Amino acid sequence: MRAEVLILCLIVGAFTYGFRLVPTRLDLSKLNPVGPLSRFLSSTGPAAIATLFVASILPSLQGPWQAQLPLGAGVLAVLIGYASTRSVVVATLLGSFAYGLVFALI
Amino acid sequence: MSKDLPSTFAQGLVASVPIALGYFPIAFAFGVSATGQGLSGPEAFALSLIVYAGAAQFLALALITGGAPLLLAAFPLIAMNIRHVLYGPALIKRAGGDAARRFAWIWAFGLTDEVFGAALGHLARGRTFSEPFMGGLGLGAYSAWLAGTAIGAFAGGGALAGYPVIEAALGFMLPALFLALLLSILTRPQLPIIAIAAAVTIGLTVFWSGTAGILGGMLAGALAGVLGLGGRHES
Repeated sequence: MRAEVLILCLIVGAFTYGFRLVPTRLDLSKLNPVGPLSRFLSSTGPAAIATLFVASILPSLQGPWQAQLPLGAGVLAVLIGYASTRSVVVATLLGSFAYGLVFALI
Repeated sequence: MSKDLPSTFAQGLVASVPIALGYFPIAFAFGVSATGQGLSGPEAFALSLIVYAGAAQFLALALITGGAPLLLAAFPLIAMNIRHVLYGPALIKRAGGDAARRFAWIWAFGLTDEVFGAALGHLARGRTFSEPFMGGLGLGAYSAWLAGTAIGAFAGGGALAGYPVIEAALGFMLPALFLALLLSILTRPQLPIIAIAAAVTIGLTVFWSGTAGILGGMLAGALAGVLGLGGRHES
């Protein structure tokens, strides 16, 4: 193991841990439930997950149309899977399966 | 099962299953890619063990193998992970401002994008927050990440080259998981927030960088919520 790789791991790991831990120490018990900070925090979840989803499919959207067929099938399968089962597990697996299936067909 | 009883460690482990299913193949791909680009198995494993942030780890590979100086390599990786500062307060707020945080120094280590999303989805379904639940959720996801990395690094570079269909299907596992998590917490008033976050992510990614797109999309969506676009009631 190279020392510089280990040092890089420790620096980035320490900052990442700090980013995850320190904000959990904030006292939110007296927060106004309809105040600006409260609305900011309530919106963070959907905004973050929507952002990560879009960022993860953007490379396929920017690629040739052939790359978008499996993507469309995968997204559709997740939507149908979740609507019919309300299960994150089933929807995720169905989406991955549909993506692979259409990828194989084209 | 009563919705009022504190969620247990075992329930956290069960809730981690979809994350583990998504993490394992991605971590496997990371291990394969890392060793394929010249990192040793222990170096690849150390990145997963200590940093534990998928996107940053893949970027770290590019920076390390590109010969970037240490501090220069650390800066974008740290910047990429700044988004995690939003997760703790958002989760505690959703759990109730006085939610227990005694063992946050343990479970916060595993507060990744997907763990945050799964915890939020758990609470959105009317379940209660508990630190044992967070421990189980985090441990299941972390174990899958470490196991995937170790097996991928052991398999070595190019292990999936002969199986492009499997590689493609595994590659879609994470987007599928994000979409399913989004559906699990979705409410109609939040649609404008999601639309704004998506539009800003696309714009910044196309015209600036992927990291700017992720950070900017999250902040834009959250600020849209402050402006009342996600409804004025507490979600």
